[in-house]
Amino acid sequence: MLEIRGVRKSYGAKRALDDLSLSVRPSEYLSLLGPSGSGKSTLLRIIAGFERADAGDIYLDGKPLTAKPAHERGVGFVSQGFALFPHLTVFDNVAFGLRFRQRNPVGAPAEVKRRVGEMLELVGLGELGGRQIAQLSGGQKQRVALARTLVVDPQICLLDEPLGALDANLRRRMTIELRRIHQRLGIIFIHVTGNEMEALAMGERVVVLDQGRVLQTDVPDTVYNRPASLQVARFLNRYNSFEHRELDGAPAAEGVCCIRRDLITVNEAGYRAAAPETAITATFVASEYSGSIIVYFFSLPSGKVVEVEYHLSHKRPEPLREGSSYALVWRTAQAMVFGSPKIAA
Amino acid sequence: MRAPSDGTTLGSVSVTSATVPARPRWTERYGTWLLLAPGTLWMLLFLAVPMLMMVYVSFWTQKTFSIEPRLTLQSWINFFSSSTYVGALVTTVEIWAIVLFFTFILGYPTALYIGLFIRNKTTQTIVLVLCVVPFWTSFLIRVLAWRPMLGKEGAVNLLLLKLGLISHPIDVLLFTKVSVIIGMVQIYVVFMVGPVAVMLGRIDRSLIEAARDLGAGSWRIFRTIIFPLTLPGVAVGAIFVSVMVLGEFATSAALSGQKVNLLGNIIVTEVGSLKWAFAAVAGVVLTAVMGIVIAGLLRAVNLREEL
Repeated sequence: MLEIRGVRKSYGAKRALDDLSLSVRPSEYLSLLGPSGSGKSTLLRIIAGFERADAGDIYLDGKPLTAKPAHERGVGFVSQGFALFPHLTVFDNVAFGLRFRQRNPVGAPAEVKRRVGEMLELVGLGELGGRQIAQLSGGQKQRVALARTLVVDPQICLLDEPLGALDANLRRRMTIELRRIHQRLGIIFIHVTGNEMEALAMGERVVVLDQGRVLQTDVPDTVYNRPASLQVARFLNRYNSFEHRELDGAPAAEGVCCIRRDLITVNEAGYRAAAPETAITATFVASEYSGSIIVYFFSLPSGKVVEVEYHLSHKRPEPLREGSSYALVWRTAQAMVFGSPKIAA
Repeated sequence: MRAPSDGTTLGSVSVTSATVPARPRWTERYGTWLLLAPGTLWMLLFLAVPMLMMVYVSFWTQKTFSIEPRLTLQSWINFFSSSTYVGALVTTVEIWAIVLFFTFILGYPTALYIGLFIRNKTTQTIVLVLCVVPFWTSFLIRVLAWRPMLGKEGAVNLLLLKLGLISHPIDVLLFTKVSVIIGMVQIYVVFMVGPVAVMLGRIDRSLIEAARDLGAGSWRIFRTIIFPLTLPGVAVGAIFVSVMVLGEFATSAALSGQKVNLLGNIIVTEVGSLKWAFAAVAGVVLTAVMGIVIAGLLRAVNLREEL
């Protein structure tokens, strides 16, 4: 179990981490989601021991980590650009930690060969030990970086935007691979990403960070369906937000109403919303078709854009006229209301 | 520009008549050759032809104050049977090896400091420029400035005497091989620092972090990661230093009191006494030595792949 208690870190006047606390369960796969500058990479570097926190402590299984240097923490770090040694072969890259760590290095070549071989097998690179780094594809480099980190048996594996450098196809394959490898090894994985879908897909729990603070820590389902704040809803990129006075016939209450894109139905203008429903009148602008989903874009008189998502597997796309008004309707109970109207853009 | 060549009709008007591809203009055809010409011509006239001339002249017959184009091996025989000249060849190689060694020993740590420990790019540039400041004075002044430093009553001896580290002035400091080596190392060390610092600056810091995270100590990281990645810089620096040291004559003339004769000094003397054929022999030998040294360095590090 990894515990982070009250960690602070500032760079000059800028506060990167602000009294951040977090606990990670044994062998958990945790996603850290946040926009750039949210402090997620800083947190990772502090856990790894590359940066020193200004205040606060980190405990691994009850033992303080804070005073230990990076290589004595049992924390492996896979950096964003992979940081492979370009002049060494795949095998020598993976063997580096085993051969050259100061504490308890593995001297016997047979033992090195066995463990590196096993690890290359685990990440699916069994045949490529003799290759030069320059001869590898992006996905293969990612696997080598992972193998190099995991071969020294860390208790925690930190992944800094591990899928960021890969193309979409490869990303899907790697998510499956990462989960499989995590299951095999049963150690803590902390996966930092700026991509909300990646965070939801990978994490057993998702931590949403912004401006050095934790906004929400929950299982993906809860984060997706019940974001704890307007900011979380924003990061998920799946919610429309309205100030209350923008809604048809709503009481002049303060607050921001958030409704997920796929929970809105489109009705002809003049539709009268009944009691359990909320409606808003908007003009149809354009639609975007992407196979299983169609997204309609509407605009409010204020110029704000509203997105409505239709899953084509259970609804026929409706033929909408550009420039016409429609009533966007949803069940009031499915919307969430947050207190601070100032943040609504 | 080419017109569409598929014979599309616009309305009822056929545009098939515009399908003849425009001929490439002569600048496009000969552009590459035109751009290559000045450099090639320059190298031919001022490098290839003189070198061939030098080889040719080394076989001419040497008269007292002139040479005539009767081919003979006499100059070559004279060169290799004279202990003075073979000695000069040996001294040249010896001084080259020692100077190269010290430029590396002194230059590499300096480069390491500039390239790795100075984080700020601007500071890095300023420090590198500071290394070049001595070049703002003339070569001869820089060499001669060592005389009052190294002499029997020079600054170094005075300082050591004052500090009580020695009781008699050290007299091997000036007009010996030592003074030639000191002078050359001081002048040429910066040519080692530059290329190595550039290579160090190009090493991704995350590699060092990764190595540290995997548990390696600083010495191991240097040996296994940093040093191999800077080898191309070392090779380039070594080539710079080698070419300049092997062709040297001024430093040894100014600091050795005629006691250290390099191949360069031989050439100067022979040309001075109009022994052209003999000077040509020394020139060919020197060029051959340089060729071997550079080929060896290039062989040790595959520059084309690593830069």
